[in-house]
Amino acid sequence: MTDNAIQISDLTVRYGRVLAVDHVALDVAKGSVYALVGRNGAGKSSLVRCLLGQMKPEQGKSTLFGEDAWTRRSTLMQRIGIVTEEADAPPEMSVAAIARFCSRLYDKWDQSSVEARLRTFGVPLTSRFGSLSKGQKKQVSLALALAISPELLVLDDPTLGLDVVARKSLFEEVIGDLADRGTTIFITTHDLGGVETFADRVGMMEHGKLVLDEDVDALKSRFRRIRFAAQPVAIDTTVLRPTVMRSWGGGSEAIVSNYDDLAFERMRSASNIVSAEVEAMSLEEIFIAIAGETSGGKS
Amino acid sequence: MRKALTIAAREFEEKRFVAYAAVAFAILPFILGVIPGISGKSPQETIALSSLIFATTFAVALGVMTGASFVGRDLSDGRMSFYFARPVASSSIWFGKLTAGILMIVGCFAVIIAPAWLAGGSSWKGFSTIDLGNMSVMILTTALALFLIAHVIGTFARSRSPWIAGDFAAAVVCGVVIRFCIQPLAAGQALDLISKLSIWLSIALAVAIIAGGAWQLERGRTDRRRNHLALSQFLWATVGVVLLITAGFVAWVVSVKPSDLTSKMHMSRSTSGPFAVITGETRWRDDYRAGFLINTDDGSVTHVDSRADWAVRYTRDGRSVMLPRLDISAHTADLLIYRKDLKEPIDTGLSLSAGDFFVSDDGGRIATISRSNILSVYDVAQKRSLVSVRLPDSRYTRAFFVTADLVRLYLNAEEATKIMELDVRSRDLRQTGIIESKTFVQFYPDASATHMLVKAQHADVLTLNDARTGALITTLVSGTNIRTARYLRDGRIAIVDGPPSASVLHILSAGGVAQRDIPLGPIQWMTVVGDDGTRVVLAADISPSHRELLAVDMNRGLIERRVAIMDWVPSGTFDPRPPIEPLREVFYGDSSDHKNYVVAWNPATGAKRRVT
Repeated sequence: MTDNAIQISDLTVRYGRVLAVDHVALDVAKGSVYALVGRNGAGKSSLVRCLLGQMKPEQGKSTLFGEDAWTRRSTLMQRIGIVTEEADAPPEMSVAAIARFCSRLYDKWDQSSVEARLRTFGVPLTSRFGSLSKGQKKQVSLALALAISPELLVLDDPTLGLDVVARKSLFEEVIGDLADRGTTIFITTHDLGGVETFADRVGMMEHGKLVLDEDVDALKSRFRRIRFAAQPVAIDTTVLRPTVMRSWGGGSEAIVSNYDDLAFERMRSASNIVSAEVEAMSLEEIFIAIAGETSGGKS
Repeated sequence: MRKALTIAAREFEEKRFVAYAAVAFAILPFILGVIPGISGKSPQETIALSSLIFATTFAVALGVMTGASFVGRDLSDGRMSFYFARPVASSSIWFGKLTAGILMIVGCFAVIIAPAWLAGGSSWKGFSTIDLGNMSVMILTTALALFLIAHVIGTFARSRSPWIAGDFAAAVVCGVVIRFCIQPLAAGQALDLISKLSIWLSIALAVAIIAGGAWQLERGRTDRRRNHLALSQFLWATVGVVLLITAGFVAWVVSVKPSDLTSKMHMSRSTSGPFAVITGETRWRDDYRAGFLINTDDGSVTHVDSRADWAVRYTRDGRSVMLPRLDISAHTADLLIYRKDLKEPIDTGLSLSAGDFFVSDDGGRIATISRSNILSVYDVAQKRSLVSVRLPDSRYTRAFFVTADLVRLYLNAEEATKIMELDVRSRDLRQTGIIESKTFVQFYPDASATHMLVKAQHADVLTLNDARTGALITTLVSGTNIRTARYLRDGRIAIVDGPPSASVLHILSAGGVAQRDIPLGPIQWMTVVGDDGTRVVLAADISPSHRELLAVDMNRGLIERRVAIMDWVPSGTFDPRPPIEPLREVFYGDSSDHKNYVVAWNPATGAKRRVT
């Protein structure tokens, strides 16, 4: 038995000449929350399709709970709840009919939980799926995904189309609650602020490559913004590696990706820096810095 | 299975408006039936006919529309992931949707037609010879075929993949292969076999599409281009294998040998040359007919058109045979010449549609008489027409080349047979004589076409006439129950007459002077096959169930040998004159162990050999 809910190794997806996913490998431990971020077209959705056994990769493979996602998809789906990027249910069907249809396909199904969640979201059961707003469609998908009490919940950009309140509700009440109960969650999102509080690990994709795959705490602990009163300041790069350097008001600032207190003190003494202020960074700030680094943009 | 049915039920639920529409179309014929201007004298027939039209149109339209969308639309709209995110196998998705599509077409057809059928009674029989059950099967088969084909086209077109060019090319290649498979069978008049082959190909295609649909969703899943690619690869690979099997089968069918001919055989042969043409149905090949040109000198066999017996012509010199090669519609035929000294046939470049044709002694010229009575003479070497003239109307025309530049024609009309000659060089057509007779006239010219034997139908008189003018020279026999008469190669005349119980062969000189009478015994019917200078060969029905070939020695005046036969193989010269070369062998059909075959019999030695 594997301890990983998800194992992706050497995964490569190609559309004609376009390399959408480039030899990606990542693991997601059972009970953890993994957030995959990246810009549009970075390859997240292709990776998710392979992860769910909806697409056969050109190379490599993805396993869910130790079983091959491509060959064992239909069995695995009993244990996995999915919210796709685009609402995909038949538009002519009512929400109730969709729920009824899905209930016949699963071994276990909690209809009352579906109805309760939809009531909470304010989505009428009698509405045609096609007539719902983008956010409501996501909420229906989420309610259906949770009706089986999934061991793994895969959310492909779940906040797309949700208003601020619904987004907050999704992250804090639903996902947070599931995470607390030990459900493994794999989420792709642009909303870094939303996942910051509960994501255990985070990955970042750029041009099909996984450029970052790290525990959130470790990531946040090694990134710091250092503000200097004077400018310019020469930083010893053998001690601290600045990702970004720029002038700021009357002083300057540097974002370093390998911060630690001792190294910083050594550098301050050596460079005779009198005034410097060290700040922790949010995930969003870190990703902007990393995105700038991987695209070669230093300022 | 349960999940497939769940998906089928969902499809029904989504498309329930189609059922409402079918109900509306089921009611509409009854409304039409009570409108006076439309229903006419028979409201029941109006109801029956309109419901059939509505049901057919509805089923066919539904087949096309559902086929084009039931998978393709979900793929192009990105909704297939809804199914693939559930614990359901791709085969269940496919067969669920397929089942729903099929049942919807069949169900809607039944919904529309059933009330009218229950109410219509016997009125259904008024407008079709086909009963409603068979008609329904045909309509639904068509609708379901369109449903499957529309699915393939829908999947290909909606993928917006350049691979569609490959599909188009593959479809063209398949079409060409099918044409090449059907063509030889059509040439073999194997309509039953073609029909069975069409059913086999249709079933194979349907199975390929149905299995291909399951395969496309298994391999392509939510990606429309990968679906297209998977379906395309599966479909064309399967169709390729099916066509390979079909082509192999067709190759086996056409690899038939003369010994495989079993029944409905037609055969003709050159009286003095080595050629024989045989056609017939073949063993284990259903109604496939084959045709062979056999060179009995070297035993070589050439496949020819199975309809060659339609118009085979042997030249008098025995060196050539002309055979038609019919096109697939059998409306026109290219004329080919097979020569003794050539391995490959010569295409004369002449195409025949209907009418008659005859050839010169050496096969160098061909004359055709069209349905509109146009006589044309064609030179084979030059491949061009030398002359065309319109002939007078006649009931029946017999013609031959006296020389390569002179065509003699006997035109049998109401009151007389006109004798005409066409000079090919001067293009001059002129009447040279006439034979007055109100009945059909049989005539047998001598080798040089100077004199001829003339016998009017139903008249027991045989006369010797001038072949060019028709002028009577002398009456040879009269009132003796004349059975048959022919010129022999050396100019002598052979006549058989007498009662059936005691027929007699008379040998006369060229001038009509009796030389020898040879008693033949009881013979019901006979014809002169030919002669080798010493003996004349007769094909004779001794009794209704007993047929023989008789070799009669003219010098010794006796029947030298005789052989029992099943059927005599007639000469195919279609020239009333005696052949140039002496008769060497006579062909006849025989059978043993329920197998028919052809035997060549040498009347001089009595030797027999199997030809087929």
